[in-house]
Amino acid sequence: MTLLVWTLLAPLLTAALGGIRASRKVEEIVIISGLSVTFGLCLATAWQFLTGPMPTAFNDALRVDGLSALVLVLCGFIGLLSAAYGVGYTRRNDARGLVTPRMRQEFSVLTPAYVFAMLLVAVSNNLGILWIAVELTTLASVFLVAYHNRDTSLEAAWKFLMLGSLGLGFALLGTVLLFASAQGALGEDMAALHWTRFMAHASELHPFTLRLGVVFALIGYGTKAGLAPMHTWKPDAYREAPSPAGVMMAVGMLNAALYCLLRVHLISKAALGPDFSGGLLLTLGLLSVLVAMPFILIQWNLKRLLAYSSIEHIGIMAVGIGLGGEAAVFGALLHMTYHTFAKPVAFFSAGTLSQLHRSSNFAVIGQGTLARAPITSALLLLAALFVTGSPPFSLFFSEMMILRAGFLGSHVIATSVFLAALVILFCGFAYQIGRLVLGQQAAERASAADPETLDWGVGVTLVAALIAIVSTFYLPGPLMGLIRAAAAVVSEGA
Amino acid sequence: MTPNVVILCAAGMLVTAYLMVGQKSLFTTIRLYGVQSLLLATVAVVMAISDKRPHLFVMATMTTVLKGFAIPLFLMRVVDRIGIHREIEPFLNVPASLLACLGLTVVGYRVSTGFAEGTVGVTHHVLGVGLSTLMIGLFLMVTRKKAISQVLALLTVENAIFLIALGITSGMPLVVELGIFFDVILAVLVLGILVRRIVDRFESMDVSRLSNLKG
Repeated sequence: MTLLVWTLLAPLLTAALGGIRASRKVEEIVIISGLSVTFGLCLATAWQFLTGPMPTAFNDALRVDGLSALVLVLCGFIGLLSAAYGVGYTRRNDARGLVTPRMRQEFSVLTPAYVFAMLLVAVSNNLGILWIAVELTTLASVFLVAYHNRDTSLEAAWKFLMLGSLGLGFALLGTVLLFASAQGALGEDMAALHWTRFMAHASELHPFTLRLGVVFALIGYGTKAGLAPMHTWKPDAYREAPSPAGVMMAVGMLNAALYCLLRVHLISKAALGPDFSGGLLLTLGLLSVLVAMPFILIQWNLKRLLAYSSIEHIGIMAVGIGLGGEAAVFGALLHMTYHTFAKPVAFFSAGTLSQLHRSSNFAVIGQGTLARAPITSALLLLAALFVTGSPPFSLFFSEMMILRAGFLGSHVIATSVFLAALVILFCGFAYQIGRLVLGQQAAERASAADPETLDWGVGVTLVAALIAIVSTFYLPGPLMGLIRAAAAVVSEGA
Repeated sequence: MTPNVVILCAAGMLVTAYLMVGQKSLFTTIRLYGVQSLLLATVAVVMAISDKRPHLFVMATMTTVLKGFAIPLFLMRVVDRIGIHREIEPFLNVPASLLACLGLTVVGYRVSTGFAEGTVGVTHHVLGVGLSTLMIGLFLMVTRKKAISQVLALLTVENAIFLIALGITSGMPLVVELGIFFDVILAVLVLGILVRRIVDRFESMDVSRLSNLKG
């Protein structure tokens, strides 16, 4: 058994252990230690990639190249972080008698299962396994969206499942068409669907079938990533999912779906040149940024605001990849990394605020939260600076890198529109969060909320904020190495 | 003879899709889905014999057992327990729907001519039918209101994708196909549970009532 196989088995075992009914304490220990081990194994696998031979398993069906290693580490990190916050989140709900043993069990099974599926996406070299893994992420997360079992959560879960399944249907059709475009050149065994084999036979693929396949696959996986116009499930699902699950969807799933998009894009690039799928990604990315704009300006709900911000960020990454060229691709991957570190702070602090006020609607929370919950509000404000890409924080640099590459390249008009949209999004998001945190507090609001205590959840948010700040100024050498290796995979197809 | 059987069965799948569009009884729609899956299995068997591809037998068996019988029985049980047997008036009435589907079929056949293998003979028909069924499935999905009807539309789309896969690639690698089957079963179970929860909560499975979330 290789290290890679253990990396995948660890979250699966955690999920199995989580299914055993136990006391709260035991369940907490199981999920935290299980996902810590998982994260450790992810780091070890990435380290193996950096230092030695490429980790592979099952006859190359699982294979860790630079891109896989980066996504693997980021997903493992998010799994651990959201489980840690999840413990605090559940404790708070437990104190109010909102948590049944069944809900606790659901959470401790589905969270590691979700992590398992995301890690499987990140390391699969086979387009068939990739599809199966993405479907598993959907199935694992449906009941996390429906977790609270309210009218609205069932509605959100239904939309999520229907749109997700439809998207995956398209992705499956895309996979079939990609396979068909080779007209038998790939062989018929399991290895025929290996991404590496597609790349080796890129020149033999039938252009019409391939184009159709690429369009379907990009739309399909784009649905999972939440690119406009397939984004409509996102605000509902993010609002209804408990915050720890929300982070896994907004960051982990986003990275995993971007990974799928990149794999398809690379096949298309090798066979048809960069313009076809690149142009498609650029269009979808730009559309996502533009669609997010009005909804952020008129938003009435904190968690939905974060969902539109997530649509904006997947749009930014898609634009970076669509623009092509080494600098833009590096910017997009750097953006993915920084986004992974920054977004949890926003979700966690928003989750805490919503719990304290028992609603995520701006109207219920009321303005001036800084007076009621100073630590969480300050963290939310900090997170807002991060996700809007304000200098001197990390996302500013990656966005600048993409913009610079865009203006130097051949897509000047698209980049100008993109820049204008980013500026408006910055204003909209800053306005919404600023009003919420710093606005004038109405007198009767002061006592409506539960008092903020420095509990486990706030503690995890503080740690996440610390990681986000440190990552702005210092990325560890090996992580930088992974980003460079991933950028090499994307720009050279190596 | 073989090509004729394949074309006949593929055409049969298209006919079941049309019947689904014209049908309001949920039980009949579920049975139609079962028949459609059996026709798909027949296509796989004929291709397995004529092209000497034994792994298609496995796929045909799985299709027969799971999609021909297990999934329809499970869905019927869900419908039975819920006690709602008819689709209410869809967003578009039946004659208009049938006309729209006719248009979709023409589009499906037109697109199928673009493929390298798609211009002549059996593949042309299988692909044309596959693409048309796919689009009819999508059409059903957007026009139906009952949760179970939407699930059936999704399953029809999935059948169509398998038919397309048979038509242009003679089937995907076996391991992948098994994985996909496993996922489909899991998805149907999840959908079933979710439908039950929705019905418990709303005392209806009319998904057009699920419209509180906006903005």
